[in-house]
Parts: sequence; structure tokens; C-alpha cells
Amino acid sequence: MSATVAPHTGLSAHVGVDLGDFTLDVELDVAAGEILAVLGPNGSGKSTLLRALSGLRAIDRGRITLDGTVLDDPAAGTLVTPEARPVGFVFQEHLLFDHLSALENVAFGLRARGVRANDARSSARRWLDRVGLGEFADARPSRLSGGQAQRVALARALAIDPAMLLLDEPLAALDVRTRQDVRRSLREHLATFPGVRILVTHDPVDAYALADRVAVFEGGRVAQVGTISDVTAHPRSRYVAELVGTNLVRGVVADGVLTTDHGAHLVVAADPGPVFAVIRPQAITLSLGTDPTSSARNVLTGTIADIDRLGDRARVGVDGPIPLVAEITIGALEALDLRPGDPVHAVLKATDITTYPV
Amino acid sequence: MTRRDDRAQLPAPVFVLAMVAIAFFALPFVGLLWRAPWGSMLGVLGQESVRTALWLSLRTSLVATALAFLFGVPLAWLLARVPFPGNSAVRALCTLSMVLPPVVGGVALFFSFGRRGLFGQYLDQWFDVRLPFTTWGVVVAQTFVSMPFLVITVESALRQMDRRHEDAARTLGGSRWYVFRRVTLPTIRPALIAGGVLAWARALGEFGATITFAGNFPGTTRTLPLATYLALETDPQEALVISLVLIAVSFAVLIGLRERWLSGARAALT
Repeated sequence: MSATVAPHTGLSAHVGVDLGDFTLDVELDVAAGEILAVLGPNGSGKSTLLRALSGLRAIDRGRITLDGTVLDDPAAGTLVTPEARPVGFVFQEHLLFDHLSALENVAFGLRARGVRANDARSSARRWLDRVGLGEFADARPSRLSGGQAQRVALARALAIDPAMLLLDEPLAALDVRTRQDVRRSLREHLATFPGVRILVTHDPVDAYALADRVAVFEGGRVAQVGTISDVTAHPRSRYVAELVGTNLVRGVVADGVLTTDHGAHLVVAADPGPVFAVIRPQAITLSLGTDPTSSARNVLTGTIADIDRLGDRARVGVDGPIPLVAEITIGALEALDLRPGDPVHAVLKATDITTYPV
Repeated sequence: MTRRDDRAQLPAPVFVLAMVAIAFFALPFVGLLWRAPWGSMLGVLGQESVRTALWLSLRTSLVATALAFLFGVPLAWLLARVPFPGNSAVRALCTLSMVLPPVVGGVALFFSFGRRGLFGQYLDQWFDVRLPFTTWGVVVAQTFVSMPFLVITVESALRQMDRRHEDAARTLGGSRWYVFRRVTLPTIRPALIAGGVLAWARALGEFGATITFAGNFPGTTRTLPLATYLALETDPQEALVISLVLIAVSFAVLIGLRERWLSGARAALT
């Protein structure tokens, strides 16, 4: 493709968008060549972020700068329309144009930018070959499988040679097996893409497989940002804790006792001050009876909320002063004959609680 | 087998009434076909007066359909996409002629665009344009009654289409106008065709507004429906033949729409 060397300095974005009673207010810096995964529950503002970055939604506050060019700055009255932004967008449901062949779909962006039909087509053909779908050039999108269609959509977004690539849950609409194929294809093409890449997902597996850094969105704000290993080891929100399958408690430590926001107590080995405490579900023992004697310093009494069987293990939710999830073997589950609603003691050692400052 | 089972489950009074309804629609055609002068068919169709009326009808209805597309698609887009106050009132106004007696439409056109009409007098004075009792008057009357069919069909398709395709096209570098031509219009193609054919059929069959606004002059304003009505008094055979032509056209339209475009439109919208 073109041999021009653009000074890729990356994305610097402060995005403030008001949508009725929802407000998105996030600041993100993504270096050229970096892949940022945006994780978050539904309605946390992930898709709104991408709409703002692509120009489909003008921001109400803040400023978006890509490779030194201001794309949106309401205070200065600057707004670059979506068609004029060097941004490729891959949507959750490929959104290929049904009335055009796969080849014409990939050529669409070049044609829209005034490239002559023949040049656009030969360039589109190279992109189709690159995603391994050269033989489907003449096929209508309705004839393609979900995975093939998503790869065509990727080629279509890359064909315009964008400086930034936005991917909005590109794997979410695919079945499990296709997802792996497309994930592999994505990894390959994301690796060779020189610009900014932002991947919105609610699946931490995608983030693990594809991203350098993770930003976790909650309620329209960045709850946490960092490398993936950092975020998963030190979750700072209940959402992230649930994603990585662990228990997160927030509270204040004084004299070796953590007091939660709801007034429950945990004995911990930690310095005083406000902390997050992570408790691995495998570290929690469940026991019945009136008053279990144990060397463990923490005995929390509650009732069983739910039981999820996962292979030879079971995750047991315990409602109590501190809601916890414990992971025990199926053997233990059956030996104790646990049922939802049963009273139970959750037992854990102070040394099994990892704490870090808020 | 299933057919017989279904019929057995239908309550007898419902079945009988449905049969009466079918007969009600079928019998007029039986009567018409029974009296049709099959032998002299080609002779009647070859008559100067019939050929003139046929040619006039084709020309005016096609021009009316073209005008319906030119103005009706933008109108449908406005109604479907722009949430302005009074949107539904404007829609009601623009589709009123579908339910209005056509004669009333013709009277309204006459008092607005007639030579002495509120606007017609200025058309006459300033532009030397006279619509009533001219072929353009026929076109205006036909457009007036037929455009709503296109508007409501296209509007509903525009409302139901997945607008994210337009978003995708814009992120690929398409201007609003480019996206409208290359994505929006092709996506609603089935509705454009269905609406266009319905509008054309309505224009072809227009009678009331035409005879009121444009009169009944052979060669300039006497379209096929007018010629049919006139012939019934002078030459019933001719009326029969023209009616058969119009029935054949309507049937072809209906079957064509059913088989192809309506199902296509439905598939595109779901």
C-alpha cells in the first residue's frame, strides 16, 4: 500500500458524552502500535466511546487527538466528520452491505474516498487474499459464514489504511469454534497494524489473547487501567473480580482487622488504611455445625445462595455479612449435602487474604 | 390431509361467509369475461380512440410515477428520519389523498391550481402555465393520488432498516450523500420497487381527480379509465375490452408484487 510514513504518535482522548441520564467521562492515551482492550459490563459506555472516537457521535466535553490532529474539540468548535477521520471500525455484527459482493464491500471505503474502481478492486482483492478469503470475492455476504463475514469486515476496515482501528466486540456474535478462528485471524492482522488499536470486549479471554493493556469501564468511567496481569492480580472493582473469578472486599484496616463498608469484620495481615482485599475462592473452606473450631482466624456465618457445578468442582455462593464465593470439590459438596438456603460457615485464614491499598 | 383437517376445524358460518366474499370478488370478473368479445378483441384495441387513450395513460402514469419518486423518496426520508414537531400531522396531510374521494381531490386541485385558483392564477400570469384541462393536469392529478403509496412504503422501509449499515459506510469514508445513494437506497430497493409499482398502478387507474381537474378531452386528458366510462354509453364492447386490459395489468402487478417484491421487502426488513 502507500509508502508514506505518518508520524504515529497515537491517540489522546478525553471523551465526555451525555446520553440522557447516562454520562460517559473517560480519559485514555493509547500509543501507536499499542492494543488497548476496553472491558466492562453492558451499558458501561464502551460502545459510546467507539462511536465518539469514530465521529458517529460528537462529544459534549473533552478533546480527541489522533497522531497530532484534533478530531473533536467542542470548546474550540472543531469536529471532523466520520468520513474524514482515518479510522477503521469493525462492528459486532459485521454489518457488511448485503447488496454488494465481498470484494465490493472491501472496495467500498476506497471508492468512497474517490479511488478509481479498478484500483479499488485490485486493492480490495489483495486484502481479501490477506484474510484468506480471495476465493469468496464474488460471494454475497449472506453466503458467507459468520466467521468469514467478520474477516471480510476486518479487511474492509483495514483497506482504507486507517491510523486507528476500532473493534466493537468483533467476536461476540460468533459461535465458540468460529470465535477461535477469527481470534487467530485478528491477532495476526492486529500484530502487523502499525496504528492505534482499541478492542472493546466483555470477554477477558479476548483481552488476554489480543491486548497489551486493559481499561475497565464501569458506569461511564474508567474503573481501572493497566497491564492485564496487573488488573487481574489486583482488581479494583467487583466487575473485574467477578471476571477473573475471585472475591473482592473493600474496607479499612485498623489493628489487623478490616472493616468493610457494610460494617463486617475480617482478620487480615495488613498495614492500616483503606484497602482492597482479594480472597481466592479456593482458599475458603465451608463447614456446618454450630461453632467450628479451627486455626483459621475468620469464620463468617451465612446461608448458601447458589451452587454452580463446574466439572469436578463447585462454586458455592454464600450470603452473609460479606458475600463470598467458595470453590470446593464435588466430593465435599456431596459429603456436606449442601443445598441453597442451608446455613453454613465460611472459614478462611488471615494469611490467605491478599490486600493492597485503595 | 392437513388441508382437510384445517377446513374441518373452521366454524361453518365463518366458512360460508368467506365463500360469499370470494364469490363477491370473483363474479364481476366472470361476468366481464363472459361478455368479452374475444373475436373482435384485436380490432377494438386497434381503434384510434383506444390506442390514443392507452398511449396517453402510459405516458402520464409513468411521468406521475417518476414525479412520485423524485419528491416522494425525499419526503419519506424526512418523515422517517427527522423528528420535527408536527411530523405525524405532516404525514397525515401527505397521505390524505389515499383515503380522500378522488373527486374531492380533483375539486381541491381545481380551486388551487385552476386558472382562477389561489395559486393557479399566478402560474398563469407569471409563468404562462395552465394545468387544468391539459395533459400536465392529468399528471398532477395522478401524482396527487399515487405518491402517498410510494411514500408510506418507502417510509416504513427506512424506519425499519438497520441504520448501523449507514454508520459503517460513514466510517469507511462515505459522505452523507454517498451513503444515501450507495447504501440507503440499495438497502430499501424492494420497498422502492413495491412502492413505485403500487403508485404506478394507482396512477394508471386514476379517474375521479383526473376528470374533475383535467376534464375529458380525447388525446390530451382522456385516459383509459375515462375512455372506459365513456365507451360504456356509446360502445359497450370497447368498454369491455379496455376493462380487460386494465384488469390484466392490475393482475400482473399484484402477482408480480406478491411473488417477488413484497416477499423481498419482507425479507429485507426482517
